Amino acid sequence: MMAPPHSKESRQMTLLLDIITTAAILFIIATGLLTIFGVLKIINFAHGAWLTVGAYCAVAVGDLGWNPWAALPVAFVTGAALGGLTERFIVRPLYARPLDAILATWGLGIIIGQLITLGFGRDVQFTKALLPGTADVFGTSYSVYRLFALAAAIAIGLGFSWLMEGTRLGLSARAVIMNEALARALGLDTRRIRWVTFMIGCGLAALAGTLLTPLTSVDPNMGVAWLVGSFMLVMVAGQSFAALALACLLLGGAQVIVSTYVSPILGGITVAVLAAVVLRISPKGFSRV
Amino acid sequence: MSDLAPADTALLSLDGVTSGYGPISVLQGVSLAVRPGEIFALMGKNGMGKTTLLKTILGAIRARGGRIEYQGRPILGAEPRALVEAGIAYAPQDQPLFQDLSIRDNLRLALPGDRQLGAALDRVYGHFPFLRDRLGQKAGTLSGGEQKMLIIARALMMQPRLLLIDEISEGLQPSVVTRIAQALRQEREQRGTTILLVEQNLRFALDVADRWAVLKLGAIEDAGAVDGGAHDRILRHLQI
Amino acid sequence: MSDATLDTAAEPGRRRSRMRHLWVLALIAAGLMIAGPLFLDRFTVNVLTRSMIFAILAVTVDLLWGFTGILTFGQAAFFGAGAYATAMVLTHLGSTPGLMVLGLVLSIVLPVLLAAAVGWLTFYPGSTDFYATVISLVVPIVVTQVIYSGGTWTGSSSGLVGYVGLDLSLGGFFRLAGLSLVAVVVVALIFVRSDAGRVLTAIRNNETRCAYLGISTQKVKIALTAVLAAVTGYAGFLYANASGVVAPENAGFVFGTQLVVWTALGGRGTVIGPALGAVAIDYLSAQLSGQMPFLWQLVIGTLFVAMIIFMPNGLAALATGWRRMRRGEDGFSPQLVALPPRAARVPADGDSPLLRIEKLEKSYGSQKVLEDITLQVRRGELVSLVGPNGAGKTTLMRCMTDGKAASGGTVRIHGTSISGMVPDQIVARGIGRKFQVASVFDSLTVAECLRMARVSHEAPSFLRSADSLSLPQAAIEILRLTGLDQHLGRAVSLLSHGQKQSLELAMVVSLEPELILLDEPTAGLTAAERATIGQVLMKLTSELGLAAILVEHDLDFVRDISSRIVVLHQGRLVLDGTVEEVVNDEIVKRIYSGGDHV
Repeated sequence: MMAPPHSKESRQMTLLLDIITTAAILFIIATGLLTIFGVLKIINFAHGAWLTVGAYCAVAVGDLGWNPWAALPVAFVTGAALGGLTERFIVRPLYARPLDAILATWGLGIIIGQLITLGFGRDVQFTKALLPGTADVFGTSYSVYRLFALAAAIAIGLGFSWLMEGTRLGLSARAVIMNEALARALGLDTRRIRWVTFMIGCGLAALAGTLLTPLTSVDPNMGVAWLVGSFMLVMVAGQSFAALALACLLLGGAQVIVSTYVSPILGGITVAVLAAVVLRISPKGFSRV
Repeated sequence: MSDLAPADTALLSLDGVTSGYGPISVLQGVSLAVRPGEIFALMGKNGMGKTTLLKTILGAIRARGGRIEYQGRPILGAEPRALVEAGIAYAPQDQPLFQDLSIRDNLRLALPGDRQLGAALDRVYGHFPFLRDRLGQKAGTLSGGEQKMLIIARALMMQPRLLLIDEISEGLQPSVVTRIAQALRQEREQRGTTILLVEQNLRFALDVADRWAVLKLGAIEDAGAVDGGAHDRILRHLQI
Repeated sequence: MSDATLDTAAEPGRRRSRMRHLWVLALIAAGLMIAGPLFLDRFTVNVLTRSMIFAILAVTVDLLWGFTGILTFGQAAFFGAGAYATAMVLTHLGSTPGLMVLGLVLSIVLPVLLAAAVGWLTFYPGSTDFYATVISLVVPIVVTQVIYSGGTWTGSSSGLVGYVGLDLSLGGFFRLAGLSLVAVVVVALIFVRSDAGRVLTAIRNNETRCAYLGISTQKVKIALTAVLAAVTGYAGFLYANASGVVAPENAGFVFGTQLVVWTALGGRGTVIGPALGAVAIDYLSAQLSGQMPFLWQLVIGTLFVAMIIFMPNGLAALATGWRRMRRGEDGFSPQLVALPPRAARVPADGDSPLLRIEKLEKSYGSQKVLEDITLQVRRGELVSLVGPNGAGKTTLMRCMTDGKAASGGTVRIHGTSISGMVPDQIVARGIGRKFQVASVFDSLTVAECLRMARVSHEAPSFLRSADSLSLPQAAIEILRLTGLDQHLGRAVSLLSHGQKQSLELAMVVSLEPELILLDEPTAGLTAAERATIGQVLMKLTSELGLAAILVEHDLDFVRDISSRIVVLHQGRLVLDGTVEEVVNDEIVKRIYSGGDHV
């Protein structure tokens, strides 16, 4: 995926950049899922479908001839709007039945996948590259877009920290996470907080789908491949964004190293297997970070 | 029992309220009336239904029968948010604070928005000055007594018309109990706040309350005004 | 219930006729399977063969999810392992009869070993349902990736094809798959209706209660996973032979989710429903895939979501509701048989205490909930634990029944420390625990609940549900006193709160414990029910020599029945004495009147 390495230093630099940018991409993909799990304690198994929706927003923006960057806001708004409907009609009755919520959202994922197929066909779609080419990083040439992904991950992480720590909505959401009964007794509108949180989580998932388009092909089932990885990372991270960043860095790093030195196919299961082992040893994962 | 009959003037009145958890009936028909501006102490041993009564008033436990009226209007089935907007504040006993949030954020969550925050904070500093210097500290790091004062402070942030307090004195040093009693009396004097206390601590209850009732096995066993004979009468019900 | 006796007399006959119905239906189904290829076209025979193999998988998902409550996406992995084991033997070694047998054996053994390992990883004391679901997602992914990385051995992404399978015609495979399905369904139905099968439902209802009845729920779940993996692997063997091709998707988690969808739509918890659901949906999918492939998937997805939201128990809830309406409220009431009294676990050597607690300590972080608790309880004593809210009473009870709960000090039963033991090991040492909120099994009948309490003493039958129920005399007496002996066939969900409390007490006594721990057994009971419970407790301790520890708020009750009272205050033991001593103690009066520090 990179320009051919020239020297040992350059190879090491490439590996390091691969680790960091892979972690960044995993982080971008998983934030939407974590947002929803953190506040609502619900696993949104339609997460993969939302990634797909975001990617098709990029396709649609391309078909309309708009500036490809416009896909980012379009995806966020579309994802959030669909998320609002989903929370109201599918997730709300299932808060007390978390395992059923996994199933119902998985079913929703099937529905969305089929709707996209009906609308766009099942062929692989291509989108315009957002940032083509490579850049020079300490003497190593590296994909500009992957570097941009790193910046995007940091921006999303900081943006989210600001939302949670710096706004009234974030304070309310944290109160719901910590002690929902008390939050309600103090008069917080927990129903609205859940709804808005679910919308934001879905918006972020769709945004992540758009950001993925230059890195992967777009087809109606593309999201499923990313779902389990993000799910495992979120399980390990618990409710904390810092823990998610750490999990992405450690598990994503392991994935890059296994892929590079052992086999790319085993690399593909590294995140899932390591996450399962971490959870077996410490059921709370990294959440105390 | 004429003291307890729902009066026209009552701010909060309960009439034949029954409720419980799942298959367990805890309250077996409770009637009482709290008048505007009074401090009412509801006494009773553990497991007699005191906390259940407060939670039923607040709608956290669904009442199975009877009527609950606030300001002459029925409030059974109302959303907690609507009760808060109507001026009812609650100081719970179980997990009463957001342990990992700062003192400031704990207090902030008692108000619907941040516009009145400054003024409200200044008001509660009047009762508990230590809060001012430790706003950024996490609530979970406070001592037991300080946490109790924070709970009361938070309940007072919104200048409630009716304040429901669940066993605030439990496990507290007498000096802290005294400070809380002082705050409650002051609040009542200055703003006419009505307070319903649930208590096991006889000394504290008699110190602040105007009237009392004893709850036993989910029903009112005895009631009266706080006077010379109250201490011995209540103690009989609380003792082993 | 004046017709209760009539009901009981008619029941065994009805149960026998129900069994007869099952066999008749099975024979008809088998007949259809054999005759099917004669009047079905090639395409249908071909598709239905596959659908029926998948239906076997749906039945295994139903046993795990519908009955035991383990939501699993992992059956696909065991299926893939079985199918690949067969296909690899046939491709790389050949297909002589001997190698075919080897393929069959491997297709069962490999999934079983894999399942045993996964089960051991998944089910440990304190593991959550959620973790099981997480692992069930990982396993198919791992198996799929292993297949991908297998090169020519596994055929990588294109799978294995072109090997020579069982020498059967299209119709022959149809009959083999069909008869296998009928056999699996019949065995599954017999099992879930047997006494052993009810253990699965008990685990789904209330795993904690199972553990406190001495049942090692982890072992049950691991065994179930392994046995069902064998069935699943066999289905893989059939599939590899019948289809002549295996592909990585057969082991993938998407296929695993499909199995769950079929099970849900067919109606979880019914065995037959998921089997029919799988056959119907897979067959229709094949039929309709030509004309309206995406629309069809859309319909399935929509139905699935609607089903999960509006009918969480699937058609099972409707079916059982209907059955209950038809047959009246009560199920089968077995005959009660009294067991002879059992010898004490450790011979009573005079005065040695049954329970000895020394310097017990429990803290959450820096907060000490219990401190320096030292306490002994002897046979025949009824000790009441009292104290204000938050004094640590329930925590102390927990430390006596969970070897991992205490932070310091020791709890000994018959001189053996329970440190590190899990609840079912402690129960095996003679401790029974009754919870504060009646902890029983809502989907079972009264008799079935009681039988669960005997599972750790006598292994339940896998084939039938016994006509009699042997219980210790004391347990039978509790049932008589509370009238529950007249309602042995009644569903627990229909009992009153007081009846549930009595049932739980009878269950705990059925364990034949030497020490019973009771957390507020009279909460929410009527005066008459309180009196009955008090009477039972007095009898158990003073006549039968059991020891009991009781947490109780109702002090009149405590005064009437206790032989000793222990007072806890702020995590410390303040007083340990007779009823008289405690009632007249000044410190106790102060604790209860004014929140003084002691």
